[in-house]
Amino acid sequence: MVRLDSYEKRLLAGKEGRLKQVCLENILRYAEVLGAEELCEVTKATVFCGAHNYLNVETSDSPDAVFSRMNLAVDEIIAFDRTYQNCTIQSCVSPCDQYEHEPFNQSGDFFSKNSEFLEQARRAGVTITGTCAPYLTGWLPIRGEHFVTTESGVTVMGNSIWGAMGNSDGIEAAFWSAICGRTPRWGNHVEENRGATHVVEVKAPVNSLLEWDLLGRAIGDPLATRAVPVISGEFQRVTFQKLRQLCTTLAISSNCEICHLAGYTPEARNVEDALRGGKPAGTLVIDEPALQQAYEAVCDPGGGEIDFVSLGCPHYDIDQIKRVCDYLKGKRISPNVHFMLWTVYPLKAMADENGYTRIIEEAGGHIYTSSCPGTMGKVFLGNYNGLVFDSLKQAGSVKSDMSKPVYFGDVFSCIDAAVAGRWEEKHRWPRSR
Amino acid sequence: MAAFTLRGRGVIPGIVEGEALVCPKSITGWGGIDPQTGIIKQYDNVNLGKSIMGKILVMPGSKGSNGWSCYFGAARVTGAAPMGWIFTRIDSSAGVATTVLQIPTVVDFPEDQDPCRLISSGDRVRLNGRTGEVEIFKSGGVGYESG
Repeated sequence: MVRLDSYEKRLLAGKEGRLKQVCLENILRYAEVLGAEELCEVTKATVFCGAHNYLNVETSDSPDAVFSRMNLAVDEIIAFDRTYQNCTIQSCVSPCDQYEHEPFNQSGDFFSKNSEFLEQARRAGVTITGTCAPYLTGWLPIRGEHFVTTESGVTVMGNSIWGAMGNSDGIEAAFWSAICGRTPRWGNHVEENRGATHVVEVKAPVNSLLEWDLLGRAIGDPLATRAVPVISGEFQRVTFQKLRQLCTTLAISSNCEICHLAGYTPEARNVEDALRGGKPAGTLVIDEPALQQAYEAVCDPGGGEIDFVSLGCPHYDIDQIKRVCDYLKGKRISPNVHFMLWTVYPLKAMADENGYTRIIEEAGGHIYTSSCPGTMGKVFLGNYNGLVFDSLKQAGSVKSDMSKPVYFGDVFSCIDAAVAGRWEEKHRWPRSR
Repeated sequence: MAAFTLRGRGVIPGIVEGEALVCPKSITGWGGIDPQTGIIKQYDNVNLGKSIMGKILVMPGSKGSNGWSCYFGAARVTGAAPMGWIFTRIDSSAGVATTVLQIPTVVDFPEDQDPCRLISSGDRVRLNGRTGEVEIFKSGGVGYESG
C-alpha cells in the first residue's frame, strides 16, 4: 500500500480534475508493480510530444483521443490541458524537423498533424524544445532533484554526471509525472540504491567520442538488470561530450540508469567511494577486443556507395558544429549524398549567427533540428541505399528498420565518406591518421 | 504434469497458460518490436523475426530506450501484446509497461531461480499473477513434479 500525502489524496479524489486524477492513479499502479511505498515530487521532466510513429496504431485524428488511449492507457477521452506547476517541462524530439518536411519525404498534412500534437502539449504547459539533449536548453536537474525523462541517455547522465535522481520509466509515465508531479520513490530515487554493484576495469585506450560510444556498448551488453557499474581506467581529457556519449550508448545497450566514473562523477571520488563499503557482485574487464566486438556488431562489413550521412546523436552542441565546419571548410560533399547535422533549434540560430550554417550549406550539407533519422523512421530512411552515422545509438536503431548497409564511424570518417560518396575500409574504426 | 514450479512476486493478477518466448537479453526499446504484428525486429536479438503476440514473454528486465513501454503499449492497442510476462527482476521501464498492459505478470525471482535460464522458448508455461507461481512444462520431455 502506497502512503499518500494531503496533496496526493486531493488529486486522487479528483479535486484537481480528471486528468491529474488518472495520472496519479497510474503512478500508484506503477508504484505497486515496483513495490514502492511512497511517492516523491518531480520538478524536472522531459516528455515525448508529437505524432510519433508508434501512435499510428490509434486511428483517431484527435490529439486528446490519441493521448488518452496511448499515454494514459484509458478508453475515455481526457483533455491534455495542464501539467504540474512546480515542474520544468521540455519536449523531447518529435518525428518532424522544427521548420521543414520536404527534405524528409514527409507530407504537409503529416507536418501539420505533428504541429497540432506539439501545440496540444504547449498549451498544457510543455516548452517545445524538441531535443534529446535538454541540457542544451537549460534543463539541468541538480544533485538530489527528482526528474523524469523520455531520453534514456539523459536518465544515465542525470543520475551519474549531475547526481540528480531519476529512473528510465517510460514515455507514458513521464507524462503522468509531468502532469501530477509525482513518481514512485523507488530505484534511483532512493539514496541507498545508488551505490555501485559492479566494477568495470577499462584496459583499452578510450579517447575519441566513438571510443566512448563503444565503451558504453561493451559495458552495457553483458550488464545484469539493475546493475550499477563503477568504471575505472587511465582516461585522458575526459569531457562532458565524451561522458554523454558513454551514457547514451550504455543506456541503449542495457537497462542501466546510473553509472559511476571513478574520479569524475560526483558519487565516485574513487571505486571504493562508489561501492559505499559494499563488495562488487562482479568485475568486468574491457580490453581492445571488447571494443572491437562492440564496433563490429554495429558497423556493417565491407563498403560501397553511400547516399546518406547523419551526424549528431545526441543532438550536437555548438562546439561540435564548429568542429565539423573546421574540418569541412573547403571540401565539397558528393552530390549523391544527403549530408546532415542534427541539433536543437536555438543552436541552429547560433550556427546561423556564427557563419557555421553557411559553411555547411556551401559544402552541400544541412543543419536540421528537433528530430533525428531514427525517430522519423522509414518514410525518410527508406529512400536511401547506404547510410553512415557517427553514433552507435543511431546506427543501431536504423539497422533494425533497414536491410540496406549501415556504417558507423567517427565524425572525420563520416565527413570523408560524404565527400567521396563511398564508405571504404579505411573509414572503419580503428582508423590510422 | 508440471515439470517444475518457480515462485516470484505476482504483480498483476490473472492466470494464463501459453507458449514461452525467452529473450535472455531482453528486447531493446524504441523499435525492438513491430507493434502491428508483435514481431521482434531488433537486428541483434536472438529471436529476430519471432512474434510476442499471445506468448508468455520471459525476459531479465527491460533494455535500452526509455521508449520501451510505449511499443508494448501500442501492441496492446493492436492486440499483438503477449498474454502474460515474466521478468527476472522488475525495473522501472518494465514496471511502466506492466502498468500499461495490465497482463498477468510475475517478477523478482530468487537468484537461483532465474526464469531466463530455467525456461526455454517453446516450453508451456502457466503463470499465476496473483500468487507469483509459474509452472513450466518442458517441451518434448517427460516432466516431474517439484516444489
